[in-house]
Amino acid sequence: MAATPTSHEPAAHSPGARLRVGVVKYASCDGCQLTLLDLEDELLDIVERFDLIEFPEASSSRSSGPYDVLLVEGSISTPEQAAEIVELRRAARRLVTIGACASAGGIQALRNWIDHEAFRAAVYAHPEYVASLATATPVREHVPVDFELTGCPISKAQLREVLAALAIGRRPQIREEAVCLDCKRRGTVCVMVARNVPCLGPVTQTGCGAICPAFGRGCYGCFGPREQANADGLAAWLLADGRAPADVGRLFAGFTAYAEPFRSVVTRLGGTRMTPGSPVLRATSGSAHPGPDPAAEAAKPARPKRGGSDARS
Amino acid sequence: MVATPEPRAQDPEPVGAALPRTEPLPAEGTWFLAKANLQLLIDQLRADGRIVLGPTVADGAIVIDEVRSVEALPVGWRDHQAPGHYRLERRTDGAAATRIFDFTVGPQSPKRWTFPPRTPLAVGRRDDGRVRHEPVAPKPPKLAFLGLRACEIAALEVQDRVFLGGPFVDPDYEARREAAFIVAVECAVAGGTCFCTSMGTGPEVTRGYDLALTELDEGFLVRAGSRAGADLLGRLPLSLPSADQLNRATEQRARVRAAIGDPVATRGLRDRLLAQWDSPRWAAVAERCLLCANCTLVCPTCFCSSVEQRSDLDGRTATMERVWDSCFTAGFAKVAGGSFRSRPRDRYRQWLTHKFATWIDQFGTFGCVGCGRCITWCPVGIDVRAELAAIAPPFEVAAEPLAVPAVGGPAEFRPARIREVRHETADTTTLLLDQLHPAFPAGRPGQFVMVNLPAFPPLPISISRFHPDAIELTIRAAGPATTALIGLPVGHEIGLRGPLGTSWPLDRALGRDVVIVTGGIGLAPLRPLVDAIAAQRDRFDAVRLYYGARTPRDLLYREDLVVWGRDAEIEVSLTVDRAGPDWTGPVGVVTNLFDRASWDGRHAVAFVCGPERMMQVTVDVLRELGLADDRIFVTLERHMECGIGLCGHCQMGRFFVCRDGPVFSIAQLGGVFGREGI
Repeated sequence: MAATPTSHEPAAHSPGARLRVGVVKYASCDGCQLTLLDLEDELLDIVERFDLIEFPEASSSRSSGPYDVLLVEGSISTPEQAAEIVELRRAARRLVTIGACASAGGIQALRNWIDHEAFRAAVYAHPEYVASLATATPVREHVPVDFELTGCPISKAQLREVLAALAIGRRPQIREEAVCLDCKRRGTVCVMVARNVPCLGPVTQTGCGAICPAFGRGCYGCFGPREQANADGLAAWLLADGRAPADVGRLFAGFTAYAEPFRSVVTRLGGTRMTPGSPVLRATSGSAHPGPDPAAEAAKPARPKRGGSDARS
Repeated sequence: MVATPEPRAQDPEPVGAALPRTEPLPAEGTWFLAKANLQLLIDQLRADGRIVLGPTVADGAIVIDEVRSVEALPVGWRDHQAPGHYRLERRTDGAAATRIFDFTVGPQSPKRWTFPPRTPLAVGRRDDGRVRHEPVAPKPPKLAFLGLRACEIAALEVQDRVFLGGPFVDPDYEARREAAFIVAVECAVAGGTCFCTSMGTGPEVTRGYDLALTELDEGFLVRAGSRAGADLLGRLPLSLPSADQLNRATEQRARVRAAIGDPVATRGLRDRLLAQWDSPRWAAVAERCLLCANCTLVCPTCFCSSVEQRSDLDGRTATMERVWDSCFTAGFAKVAGGSFRSRPRDRYRQWLTHKFATWIDQFGTFGCVGCGRCITWCPVGIDVRAELAAIAPPFEVAAEPLAVPAVGGPAEFRPARIREVRHETADTTTLLLDQLHPAFPAGRPGQFVMVNLPAFPPLPISISRFHPDAIELTIRAAGPATTALIGLPVGHEIGLRGPLGTSWPLDRALGRDVVIVTGGIGLAPLRPLVDAIAAQRDRFDAVRLYYGARTPRDLLYREDLVVWGRDAEIEVSLTVDRAGPDWTGPVGVVTNLFDRASWDGRHAVAFVCGPERMMQVTVDVLRELGLADDRIFVTLERHMECGIGLCGHCQMGRFFVCRDGPVFSIAQLGGVFGREGI
């Protein structure tokens, strides 16, 4: 799922011309777009090659496009966002999602399993003032995406590689492989085998450099399921080892829980089950369908765009 | 005590067998190094400017890292390994607390240093239409590996074949390999996932080392395998080992070998595996396999890599780096349009068939050394030993694995005395032999012996009955040697070797119907089988014996036939080719006796012995009746002289009938059974 280019043709871009780049965000923490600013050594090269016409984290100058490249952070969780992304897609020659929220729904996609209305009622004194969708969904479920750069947050090196690929007009060379390969290249001792620590590394797309196992923790799956991720196989092993189904389900219920095949495991094993007695416990827990149909949600009439950056926060 | 290293005249230890040498090493032989002096070995290696890499405990495992002091070594530690499982235990009592190398291999191997995870290759530049690639010259560190095991040395030799075997030689690997000094340590314990014994790579260290250590409680036996190793020995305080120390080392090796056993049947493995491209097991294992590639990256022989480029933003400069890759990743077999191995089962199959089959075609050796890392470090515990057995099961060899005959040497005939001569028919006689080597009565049904009367050629004769202290041989006069044998008087001796060959796999018939089909003297090798069944009759369902002879007078063992039918509930059916005046039974081929309506071939196991043509016809009929090829067993006759697979006479396709047979399943024989001219 990660690093899957769509059918959009490569940028017909002549070397030397500056690309008009926009960076926008929806439901997210801003961490991924800040990764762009973290490319400190290359910032001068970047601004030389890219014209950052819309990047609220870095500059107060604004633009509504058109964009050669639009970097999109965050998941779609309000009616405004669902409408705006459709418009922005029209204004962007290439759209690249950055981060787990934009590519997989993010941690907020856990709400896709629970009763949205009950949560709203529990959290807000006046829920009627809050317009939000019942689901938080990846950008791909709303508009075509040219490239998905996953991670929570994204990797600086991978972002740099995507920018280089965009500038040069080639495909990004992002390896499609498990975190395990980086663990082994680093020489990290496998936490699952040597310490019985549950780890999502075998089914998770690499990119972080295998940080958590190097500190004795299992992988949290920040970069989402890798190509052919055998989440069922991993879950079966953990269950056979005597772990409770809900514990195994919870392992998959992290930043990329809503991305298949993690989503199916979470649903099957009850990874988002709330404490019994919780006021927001979904009445129909155990339903075959984990959440509302995102496509149907996206198709709902959205309220007019309010404009400004608030709509994207 | 410091001994002057001198060549020793008698030395039980092999020294550097694989290394070509033109003159004796100055410190040839096995020496003793006190445990307290191991530090001196490390010091000497460091004094030579080497970084010493040895085992050390980190992150719950024994990993390889720089070792400056003996204290960094895993003193007292023991590892416990199983599929998907690795744990360390600290031992604090007795000698175990002071053992330094009482563990097997950890997650890392020397590959990490001879073929690093990332190797800079070149820098490519593009400027004004010109392109330049500047290779990065290898800069190998001067290393000394302390504690490499036999399997790891074997793995280095496998990678040597890959990287140095030509036609292209990898310069980086070559430089790193040449710069490495190897101190091997023989395994004193067996790991739970080890199978070096099956792959022929260990546990004994026999080659490929500069120094080899065998740890004893009080120190090390040490021997040199190269000039550099011998030079270093000359700088260490050594003494001569005692006979007791040498014995303990030998016993330790034997214990490890016995503990590992022989978990992977490697005979014919390449062919067995390559016949299984379409096995349903590939899909079954793919349901468990995570495609995480851990097996390949912990493997000390896997050499697959990719070149990663990192370019600057304008594409003018790109660094190229060789990175460990794996046939389990998506990109590995990808071209524009997709991956050639898109399905998980394709990738597992690629890996397994490469390791255990196609590697042999490419590099003349298995790609596996039996270190067990791929089993231990598979996060879901997939065990290659079990997968191999399931995907490419060993040929249905009749019974136990090949055993060394007790009296097997080509010239090792032992006397046996003829106690009784019993004439069965006009041309067939049974000799009862006693006063013989106990191995013969301890043989198994279906086995044979080589029989010799000096001045006559040795003959293979099936054992036709076992007694506690005697055996019977039933011999038909077919030529001068057989005629001479059956003409011998009681009390005369003959020479025997054996017992030889495979036996009837009676265990395959437990709880099933048993069908025994035989003709003529073919009943002789089957008689011990029928005896065995009669002795434990309640462990089998219906037992039927179909026996055909030329005439009623040619029927063997007539008393037994009556007893089996009467006392053992064995349904005995007889037929003859030509009936005499007093024969009222059936006439015709033996398969005509089958009462097809009364038995279910799918529940039966068949044992067949007779002329080959008769066996072919019988097998065809048995198949029609629902018996699978792996439940039909035959015993074959061939020209045998040595009886132990060394003379070549009895070769039949990939088998030596004397050693791999004479009892085979039809499944095992495959296309060679019944084929003319094999």
